[in-house]
Amino acid sequence: MSIIRANQLDAWEKRVDTGVHFMLGNYALVEGAISAGCNFFAGYPITPANEISERMSQRLPQVGGKFVQGEDELCSIFALAGASLAGAKVMTATASAGYNYMQEGLGYCYTIEAPVVVADVMRTRGDNFASYADVYQLRYGCSGDYEAIVVCPSSVQELYDYTIWAFNLAEKYRNPVIVMSEATISLMRERLEIPSADKIEIFNRKYTTAKPSEYLPFGAPENGCPDFAPLGKGYNTIYSLNPHNEKGGIDWDPDDFERLYKRVCGKIRENADEICRTEQYMMDDADYVIVTYGSEVRPSIDAAKLAREEGIKVGVVKLCNIWPVPETAIREVAGNVGKIFAVEMNIGRYCNEIARVAAGKCPVVPVTKNRGQIHTSAELLRVIREETK
Amino acid sequence: MLQFPQRISLCGFGGQGIILSAVLLGTAAVTKGGLYAVQTQSYGSEARGGQCQAELIIDKGPINSPVAETKNLLVAMFQTAYEKYIPILDEDGVLVIDPQLVTNLVRPIANTFAVPATQIAVDLGNRMAANMVMLGFLSECLGLLKAEDLLEAVKDQVNPRFVELNLKAVQAGIDYAKDNNLYYHG
Repeated sequence: MSIIRANQLDAWEKRVDTGVHFMLGNYALVEGAISAGCNFFAGYPITPANEISERMSQRLPQVGGKFVQGEDELCSIFALAGASLAGAKVMTATASAGYNYMQEGLGYCYTIEAPVVVADVMRTRGDNFASYADVYQLRYGCSGDYEAIVVCPSSVQELYDYTIWAFNLAEKYRNPVIVMSEATISLMRERLEIPSADKIEIFNRKYTTAKPSEYLPFGAPENGCPDFAPLGKGYNTIYSLNPHNEKGGIDWDPDDFERLYKRVCGKIRENADEICRTEQYMMDDADYVIVTYGSEVRPSIDAAKLAREEGIKVGVVKLCNIWPVPETAIREVAGNVGKIFAVEMNIGRYCNEIARVAAGKCPVVPVTKNRGQIHTSAELLRVIREETK
Repeated sequence: MLQFPQRISLCGFGGQGIILSAVLLGTAAVTKGGLYAVQTQSYGSEARGGQCQAELIIDKGPINSPVAETKNLLVAMFQTAYEKYIPILDEDGVLVIDPQLVTNLVRPIANTFAVPATQIAVDLGNRMAANMVMLGFLSECLGLLKAEDLLEAVKDQVNPRFVELNLKAVQAGIDYAKDNNLYYHG
């Protein structure tokens, strides 16, 4: 497998298409991946994620990467696991139904702590309508103890920016990271500004300095992740889905078992404040707040502006990632407002997480819509008026 | 010049180049004009035929809601598509039609312009260039974008084999507005 080497600087430079573009969301996600150093993609076609595979198949050869068309989703996610352990920065893209098929391989990646990035361009079943119905699946789809990291872009620019962020998180925490997209933003064209290569922060995985005889493949500090070993250099390692000890051997001892899963979960849970990002709009004097994520952020900001024209002081908190739950930020906001509006494009899912965190501080009103389209600002304004009488 | 935010709907049938038109308008606005734009679309699964609509919002600053509930410009290139989308045009909005393909106007709009884009394209040798005639007309009549920015976007985005034809078609659209003194003074 070819990996971009230091002496292939030309290919490395070509990865960043600096400038102002009017770009399709799915293409922007690919450009983000390539900018982050993605050099391996395996995937199986599905609408509305197809433009990701299409552009990857064109861009990866230009930057010395490899594109694989898998025979199905399961093959693709396992190919990712292998390529990731071999040292590549890897990605796949799918949509709701295809994400179902990947759970076995994704669970394997969580357990062996393989950095992989999965784009899920969510859709409603049977048709390519917009939806965030799978927000729980992104967190709980696999069996076993693990923690998910899910980032939620709300624009074409963020599809680019957050995909870079996803690669950095995956490499830093040795964990799968999901880029949550959906039919609206993925098939939308919008202004995208790609910075120059030197302005893009990239995190590369940490390799061990231990000798092969001393290397512990799963030896790591508390709530941290192990260093990688270069493949093919004598660092013999078993990457097993089964419970394993620090040496990588399959181990059913309950003490080892407990230690492993405490760390695999703890590296995300205990670092949640470092991982999580939120952004605030019009919050300085807000009496009410819309807490939302992904493309629903867009009509929410418009609705807050319209409400302010009527004297209702509404602010917006955008959750840049939904898993792990940005609890610190939500708790702080809940203590400062009279009511939270939890806006989302499903029948009411993530509002439960927001209500759990805000419990005892302020009421949470779910504002949900499951009709294949994002909310309009007028729809949100009607609810705000009604609930603030 | 059309007021900001420009809320545009282009509609017709699949194969007329409706979506490409919206992409070119958006590309010129963003990459040449320094503006912000959001473009979405809906179309049937057929490669040709079926209703097709592209929506475009152009503004001077960032755009939140990606779809505008009403439009201030509707460009209709087929009767059934016209009938579907005419209700969402503002009363004082602008309607542009191809009069050979939209023959029965069901709602009076004061600012209506008829541009025989398909016939002009046929006269140039290829009916497929009708969308480019329309873009040229929109540039001249509405000041929607600068002609040179549009021509640049066409050169960047269109299959090289058809660039010459398309550039001619854009110019023909500009000339049609000039020759018939069709200008919007909104």
